[in-house]
Amino acid sequence: MSDAPLFFEDIPLPGLADGALTLEVAAHTATVIQAPETSGVDLLSRYALGLQKPPGGRVILLGEDLSSLPRRVALAFRRQVGYLPAGDGLMQNLSLRDNVALPLRFASSMSEGEIDGRVGVIVAQFRLTDHADHRPAAVTDELRRRTALARALAFDPPLILMEDPFDGLTTKAATDLLALARGGETEEGSRRVVFITGQQVPIAVEKRIERRYRLARGQLQLDT
Amino acid sequence: MITPISALGRGVARSISRLGALARFFVRTLVAIPTLSRAGRRVLLRVLIRQIWFTAVQAVPLLIILASILSFLVISQAVRELGRIGATELIGSLMVIAIVRELGPLLTALVVAGRSGTAIAAELATNKVMGELNALEGMGIDPWHYLVLPRFGAAILSISGLIVLFDVVAILAGFMAAATAGMTAARYFEIVLASLTFRDVWMSVVKGVVFGTIAGMIPSFAGMSVRGASTEVPIAASQAVVGSIFFIFLGSGLFVLLI
Repeated sequence: MSDAPLFFEDIPLPGLADGALTLEVAAHTATVIQAPETSGVDLLSRYALGLQKPPGGRVILLGEDLSSLPRRVALAFRRQVGYLPAGDGLMQNLSLRDNVALPLRFASSMSEGEIDGRVGVIVAQFRLTDHADHRPAAVTDELRRRTALARALAFDPPLILMEDPFDGLTTKAATDLLALARGGETEEGSRRVVFITGQQVPIAVEKRIERRYRLARGQLQLDT
Repeated sequence: MITPISALGRGVARSISRLGALARFFVRTLVAIPTLSRAGRRVLLRVLIRQIWFTAVQAVPLLIILASILSFLVISQAVRELGRIGATELIGSLMVIAIVRELGPLLTALVVAGRSGTAIAAELATNKVMGELNALEGMGIDPWHYLVLPRFGAAILSISGLIVLFDVVAILAGFMAAATAGMTAARYFEIVLASLTFRDVWMSVVKGVVFGTIAGMIPSFAGMSVRGASTEVPIAASQAVVGSIFFIFLGSGLFVLLI
């Protein structure tokens, strides 16, 4: 079995000519798969998190096949991974600050004061302070995406899965978002493992991604 | 000949299947209760309080008006008619049987189902359509813990509390009606309280729990059952109200039959 942080083995994808995907996402890398929505690539993050069972094959996420775990265990396990769903998935009835605080409030043993302190730091780090008390509907796409990423990284996970994260963003905003997702650089590369699926990736952002796959004529091709 | 029969059969099968799905949803909600973490309980309490504000506190003015008008009309008519045959003491039984035992819980549940049932179903359906449920699951938060349980709990607590309020307001409004016909406060409260038994109070509590379960479960089920199209949101809201009203009346009828 692969010891990569994320490993897809024989996952059936309608967009692939040979029908199934096998792919390792290596440690200290950002990896992107650019493919149209109809290819089935957009489901890879859901398969990885066990939110949806793949029609075949298996996905190993941080050493576990989440689809085989009991629901309660899988829920707890997912807290080790950041997830930025397509759109943003923010709770519309909560302020941006409360959205960031939600996973900490729900799944940490921190006191309310400690949570407020941690959220304050995250909100500042993601440059949300001026808008933190607004609800998602009252802010721009970029701020919503930033907030969703801040929420996904609230536990500082070692790996983040992102679906269509750059849609509708300017190149600068997309570059910033990727930098925040990577969480800084180490000698070996990205501090955090980043796995991205999507259709739009600005060229300036592509340059900062170590592994870039593109689906063309039914083949997944590694850009070099 | 076969076509209408098969259409009827399909309709019945669909209804049974939906009832089964509702039962599974209810069981899943109950099963979610003991799996809630300590931190999760803190969040649930916060959401529960907010839901009680929307479901119970904001419904208080409407409920006071309804209870007052209903009780005033019934008791003023009753005092006049029963007074002719010298049986005004029967307004105690009328108040307790008709209003406290039957109409109070029924109307309270209908008010909550109408006001909050649509809101719960529309909110949960929107949560689903906007991908919020998906995001919650992805963060390791069980949507049953964060979304369903607080609404379920709030519906039960709100309806139970509002039934008590309805009864108190109805009894007071009944006194106003009786007083206009010349009955003293001492006489009125004596005959009403003489008719009120511990069983009536206990039944109100049980009805609060049953109707609260209906008013919390059916809208939550309708909201969580949408598949993802925004056009399903108003359908879910409509199904929530119709389903809640049907089951509340059914429940009320069963209470009369069985207890």
